Amino acid sequence: MSRYRYTLRLVILISLIVSSITVFARGVYQTDQDFLAETFSQAVPKSKVVWVKGELASTITDILGHKYIGLRIRYWRTAERSVWILEEIGKEKPITFGVVIANEQIETVKVLAFRESRGGEIRHPAFTQQFRQARLNELQLDRHIDGVSGATLSVRAMTDVARLALYLDKFTG
Amino acid sequence: MNRKMRSLHRSMGAIVAIFVLMLATTGILLNHTSDFELDSRYLTWDWLLKHYGVDDVKPDAVYLLDRHTISQFGPQVFIDAIPVTQSHVPILGGIIIDDLMVLATTDALLLFTPEGEFIERMGDGLGIPSMIQNIGLFHGDPVVQTRDGMWRSDFMLDQWEQLSLDGVGWSEPKSMPRSLQIELADYFHGKGISIERVVLDIHNGHVLGKFGIWFADFIGALLVLISVTGLWLWARRR
Repeated sequence: MSRYRYTLRLVILISLIVSSITVFARGVYQTDQDFLAETFSQAVPKSKVVWVKGELASTITDILGHKYIGLRIRYWRTAERSVWILEEIGKEKPITFGVVIANEQIETVKVLAFRESRGGEIRHPAFTQQFRQARLNELQLDRHIDGVSGATLSVRAMTDVARLALYLDKFTG
Repeated sequence: MNRKMRSLHRSMGAIVAIFVLMLATTGILLNHTSDFELDSRYLTWDWLLKHYGVDDVKPDAVYLLDRHTISQFGPQVFIDAIPVTQSHVPILGGIIIDDLMVLATTDALLLFTPEGEFIERMGDGLGIPSMIQNIGLFHGDPVVQTRDGMWRSDFMLDQWEQLSLDGVGWSEPKSMPRSLQIELADYFHGKGISIERVVLDIHNGHVLGKFGIWFADFIGALLVLISVTGLWLWARRR
């Protein structure tokens, strides 16, 4: 096989792999229902709501850099932990995150639905485990989160949502 | 041979002269779009907007709720002419209960204030039945039709019971009021067509669509021919 044809085939193969990774990056990885059932071992408590208004609204704006997309935020709480399902725009589309807080620390942060074409790498445990046991310190996480090349905005969205969930846990606790 | 070539050259010259003038004029204008502010001046003639297909908008779904028009264009949901939220699945209908506007998608209910502010998306995590096909009202209570049957709730929307009901007032798609179409056309298409765009499209023939492109190619071919015949005549004279 000539060198030209070999190179062409290699380029096509790499393109196919890259495009399929991009396609598979999008989707619903876990439904809200399954995330809650997994977190509370099937005994999901009744949901509560917190209205985004007044001082809370302005603090949320400080955390996210913009107003939250809804007027109220739903959460689930037991004596041990609280669970927050929050949406934040990555680059153009909303990413749905599930965050579990216990003892004012992050227990789990998960991407439940990802709709952007790039940046889906943030769903991998290798990335999300950086958030484990993170706390809030003056509205910032108490640690540095390493970025992912090509997923800067998605990383920022997850970091902001983690900060927001920690703040809301304290606010409603 | 020489006479024939001269005659051909003259005939082609007459045909292409008018187009050379047009190409030269539009070319000069395009070279100075900033000087003449062609990129910031817009044309809003009805026939031109229609020609460019930007006189109208085509929503994927329209529902009328009270005095509001709910519409969806791709993922963007509008209440009247205001973009309120995104839904990556189609809006299937809407109802008003108490002080809430409730829109249904296949897997969630989207809640809005009467003023159109987005409150919350209630999904399967809150017990909303899945695979929703339509939403309606039965004596003031919200009802959803799913693939698995009919479900009724109350204004809290957090408890659903499966049953079968007759006489549900189902939400139905409507057509968009003309005044709103015009407002949304402004939202999507802006101020009109820039003069720069029109001049560029005249220059390259795109203004006449596919025919214009072929026509521009034809004129280009004539210019090549006239150059060849001109060079031939010049060479023969020498």
